[in-house]
Amino acid sequence: MASLADRDHEMTGMRSRWATTTGHLTGLALLFVSAGMGLGAAVELVEGPDGAGMLLASILTGGLGLLLWRMTRPGGLDHATVFTAVGGTWLIVSVVGALPYLLAGTFERPGVGFSVAFADALFESISGYTASGSTVFGLHNPIVEQGAGLLLYRQLTQWIGGMGIVVLVVTVLPSVRAAGLGLIDAEAPGSGVDRLAPRVADTARRFWLLYLALTLLVAVSLLAAGMSLFDAICHALSTASTGGFSTQDASLGHWDSVVIEIVVMLGLVIAAANFTLHARSLPARRPVHYRDPEFRGYLAVLSVGTLLVTWMLVAEGYGFLASLRNAAFNVVSLGTSGGFGNATGGGGIGDYAAWPAGPQVFLLFLLIFGGCTGSTSGGVKIMRLRIGAAHAYRTLRLIRRPRAVLPVRIGNQVVADHLVERIAGFVVVYGMFLAGGTLVVSALGSDLPTALSGTFSALGNMGPALGDAGPTASYVDGFSTPARMVLAFLMLVGRLEIFPMILMLVVPYRVLQRHSSAVGLFRWRSRRSG
Amino acid sequence: MAAAAGLSLVAGLIDLTERGQNTPELLVAGGLGGVLASVAASRIRRPARILFSDILCGTTVALLAMVAGVAGLYLLTGTVERLEDALFEAVSGCTTTALSVVDPNTLGRGLLFVRSGSQWLGGLGALVLAVVILPFRGDGGEFADRSGADGRKPLAPNHRTALRNVVAIYVPVCLILWVAYAAAGAGGFGSLLLSMATVSTGGFVGPGDPLATGAVRWVAIIGMAVAGTSVVVLWRLVAGRGRGLLRSRELRSYLFLLVVATALFTVWNGPGGVSEIREALFTVTSAVSTTGFASSPAGEWSAAAPVLLLLLVAIGPMSGSVGGGFQLLRLRLLLKAAIREMVRQLHPRVVARIRVGDRVASENTVRQATVVQFVFVSLLFVTALVVAAFGTELVTALSAAVHALATAGPVRTLDGLVLDPSDWSRSARLSLVPAMVAGRLYFYPAAIAAGTLGSHVGDLLQVRRRWRRWRTGTTK
Repeated sequence: MASLADRDHEMTGMRSRWATTTGHLTGLALLFVSAGMGLGAAVELVEGPDGAGMLLASILTGGLGLLLWRMTRPGGLDHATVFTAVGGTWLIVSVVGALPYLLAGTFERPGVGFSVAFADALFESISGYTASGSTVFGLHNPIVEQGAGLLLYRQLTQWIGGMGIVVLVVTVLPSVRAAGLGLIDAEAPGSGVDRLAPRVADTARRFWLLYLALTLLVAVSLLAAGMSLFDAICHALSTASTGGFSTQDASLGHWDSVVIEIVVMLGLVIAAANFTLHARSLPARRPVHYRDPEFRGYLAVLSVGTLLVTWMLVAEGYGFLASLRNAAFNVVSLGTSGGFGNATGGGGIGDYAAWPAGPQVFLLFLLIFGGCTGSTSGGVKIMRLRIGAAHAYRTLRLIRRPRAVLPVRIGNQVVADHLVERIAGFVVVYGMFLAGGTLVVSALGSDLPTALSGTFSALGNMGPALGDAGPTASYVDGFSTPARMVLAFLMLVGRLEIFPMILMLVVPYRVLQRHSSAVGLFRWRSRRSG
Repeated sequence: MAAAAGLSLVAGLIDLTERGQNTPELLVAGGLGGVLASVAASRIRRPARILFSDILCGTTVALLAMVAGVAGLYLLTGTVERLEDALFEAVSGCTTTALSVVDPNTLGRGLLFVRSGSQWLGGLGALVLAVVILPFRGDGGEFADRSGADGRKPLAPNHRTALRNVVAIYVPVCLILWVAYAAAGAGGFGSLLLSMATVSTGGFVGPGDPLATGAVRWVAIIGMAVAGTSVVVLWRLVAGRGRGLLRSRELRSYLFLLVVATALFTVWNGPGGVSEIREALFTVTSAVSTTGFASSPAGEWSAAAPVLLLLLVAIGPMSGSVGGGFQLLRLRLLLKAAIREMVRQLHPRVVARIRVGDRVASENTVRQATVVQFVFVSLLFVTALVVAAFGTELVTALSAAVHALATAGPVRTLDGLVLDPSDWSRSARLSLVPAMVAGRLYFYPAAIAAGTLGSHVGDLLQVRRRWRRWRTGTTK
C-alpha cells in the first residue's frame, strides 16, 4: 500500500511539472556535461591555473541541468518533438559547453574583445561536442600553455559528443524509452539504428560500453607506445570519438612516432566502423565485419586512397616510405573524420596543405566521404554513397530496359525505395549546404580553397581543412570570426546529419504561430490564405 | 558527318572572301566528307526496332563523329600541329565549351567560321537533344509543351514538328543577333561569328576584341540571356502566347538568379556606375548561360566573386535551353524532393507529389534528376583529380572541371584573370574531353551510350561467356 501511495505521489508530482521533452532531455544532458566539467575542474585544481573558473562552470551547468530535469517531464514524443528535443539538446549543450573556456578566460588576450573571445569559446565547444576537431588555438594562443584540466575537458567534449549525447541520455532516462529508438535515430540518422537488445536503453548501454572499451584499449596501446598517461588518455578520448583534438599544437607530429601513428590509425579505423558490427563480433568470437558491404567499401576507399596518394607523392619526388607513412596516416585521419595531424612543421611532407593539387583533391573527396553508418565518424557515410551509386546504376539500366524490375541492392540485401529516396534527399540538401556554406564563408573573407575545404570539413565534422586552415594552422588564420560562426553552425548541422537541425524549428514555429495568431500577429497570413 | 562536311564546304567558300589560304583543304575535305556521309547513309539500313538507348547511343556517336571531322579539319589545315590539340579544340567547339588553345588572330576567315560553326552546330544538336529527344522518351516529358488544347500551338506535339520549331527559333534568333551586333558596330563577319557564339552559348570570338564597345556588350548580354532561356518560353512568345509568361516559376527563377547574382557581384567588387553594372551583368550572364565570353576584372575581385561565378556556371540556365550545367528545372526538382523528404520525416506515411509550376513531376523524372546530380558530382571529382594529378593547381583543377562539365568557359584565377588552357599540360587538357562530352549530352545519355557501347563491345568479344567458362573451369 505504501509503495502505491508513493507511486501515486510521484505521479502527481510528475504531472505538476512542465511537460517538455526538450527541457527534460537537455536537463539530463547538462548533468552529464557538468560531470565532464567537474572532472576537468578537479584536475585543473591540482595541476593548472584555472580550477576556480572551471569549477564554477561545472556548478552552474549542473545547477541548470538539475533545475531543468526536476522541473520538467517528457511531453509528447511525436516526430516533430523528437527532432526539436534532439536539436535543442545539442544546441544548448554546445552553448553551455563554452562556459569553462569563458570563465577560465581561455580566449581572452590583449586587443581581443569579449565578443571574439565568446565566439572562439563557442567555436571550440561546438567543435568539441560535434567531434569535429577544428580549433581556434594556435600560435597566438598555444594549446600547450593551457592547464591540464582544461585540456582534459576539451578532450571529454569530443568523447561525450562522439557516441552521442542523446544516446547517453537514453541509457538512463526511463520515461522516454518507448521513443528512445526514434531519439537515437534522430541523433545519428543513417539507414536506421539496429537494436542490439530488446530494450532500447540496453542497446544504448551496449554502444557506450563498447565505446568505453575501445577508449581503454587505445589508451593502453598509446601508453605502451610511449605517450605519458595523461596524453594517452586524452588522445584515446579523441581517437575513439574520431574527434581529433590533441594536447599538443603539432598534434601527433609532436611525437613523430610511427608506432603512435599506427595505434591511432587502427583506433580511428575501428571507431569509424559500424559499432553494431563490433557488438555482433563479440558473441560470435570472430569478426563479422567482412560480410558487411559497407565495411568492405570503407576499407577499399582507405586502401585505394592510401595507394593513390602515395603514388602521387612519390611522383612529386618524395621518398616512398615517407610518402606511404604520411599518405596512410592522413588518408585514414580524414577518411575516418578523425582530423589528427602528423606534420612536424609547416610545409613538411606531413602538412597536406602544402601537398601538390592531386592529393589535395582526393583529400577534399575524403572530407565528404566519412566512415560507416552507426559509427562515431561524420561525413555523408559510405553506405549512402554506395546506395547512391547503386540507385544511379539502377536508373541507367532502367532506361536501357524500361520493363525490367530492378531493385537497388547492396551486397545481397535489397534496399527499400523509401530509403533510397530519403538518401537522395539527404545528398541533395548536403550538396546545397556545401555550396551555400562555401559561398557565405568566402563572402566573409576566405579564399576559395580555404572556404571550400573549411565548409566540407565543418559539415563532415572532419577537423582541419586545406589552404590557410591546414593541419598546422589554426582556424583563426583561415577564417574571420563571422565565418567561424557559420562553420560552427555547419558542424552542428553536419553532426545531426542536417534534417534534425532544420526540423527542430517545426515545433517552435507551430507554437509561435498558435500564440501569435491568438494575439493577431499572423492575421495578415490568415487573410491571405482566406 | 554530313554536318561537318557541310560546315567545311561553307567555310571553304567563306575563306574565298578573304585570302583563301585554306580554301582548297576545306573544300576537298568537305567534298570527301559529303561523299562518305552519302555512302554511309545509303549503305546503312534503319533498324526495324529502335530502342531509346540506341537513340542516345546514336546521338553520342554523332557528336563524336562531328568532333572527329572538325579535328581532322584543324589538322589538315595546319591550325594545330598535334592530334591532342586538334581534339581539344574540336571538342571544345562542338560541345560549346569555349576553352581554346588556338589564337584566333592567326586564323583566316574559313577556319574562324569552322570554329564558330562547330559551336553553332553543337548548340543546335544540344537543343534537339533537350527538346526533341529526351522529353519524348526520357525525363521531363511532363514539362514539354505538347498540348494543343484551347487552340494553342504547342512547341513539341511530335518529334517532327518539335524539330521544325526548334530550327525555326534557333536560326532567326541567330540572324537577329547578327543584325544587332552589326548595328552595334562589330563588323559584318565579326558579327556573324559573335551571333553564332551567342546563340549556341559557345563563346568563341573572332580576332581582336570584338566585344570591346559598350553597345556590343549590351547586345551580347541580351543575346546570352535569350540563349539561356528555355525554347518553350521563346516559342510561346513567337506563337503569341506570351501573356502570363512571367508566371512560369522557372523563368522567374532564371531572372531572379541573374538579378541577384549581378547585385552580389557588383556589391562584392565595389559598387560603381553604369559601366561597372554592365560589366557585372555581362560576367554573370556569361556564366549563368554558360556562354563563356571572357571579361577582364575591373579593379580587385573579392574572395567570393570567383566562388559565385563557379556556382552560377554549375547551376546553368533554364532547362530546354542551349546552355549546359545542371539547369534550373533539375535544381528545383531536387530542392522539392529534399523538402518532400523532410516532410516525410515528420509524416512518414504522407503521399506527396512533386509539383513544379502547374505540372506534377513524375517519379521517373525526379529519379533521373538525382542521378544527374550523382553523375555530375562524381565526374566533377574524377575530372578534377585527374587534371590536378597532371600538374595544375587545386583551384584551376576544380574550376576547369566545373567549366568542362557545364560546357562553359573561361577558367579564371582567384583574382578573376582568365587562364589560357595552352599553359596546361596536354594530359590535363585531354582529361577534360570526356567531361565536356558528358556535359553537352546532359550527363545520363552519355552514361547510357557508354554502357550500350560497352555491352556491344562485350557481346562482340563474348566477354561474359568467356568469363563464365573460365569461372566454371576453375571451380571444376
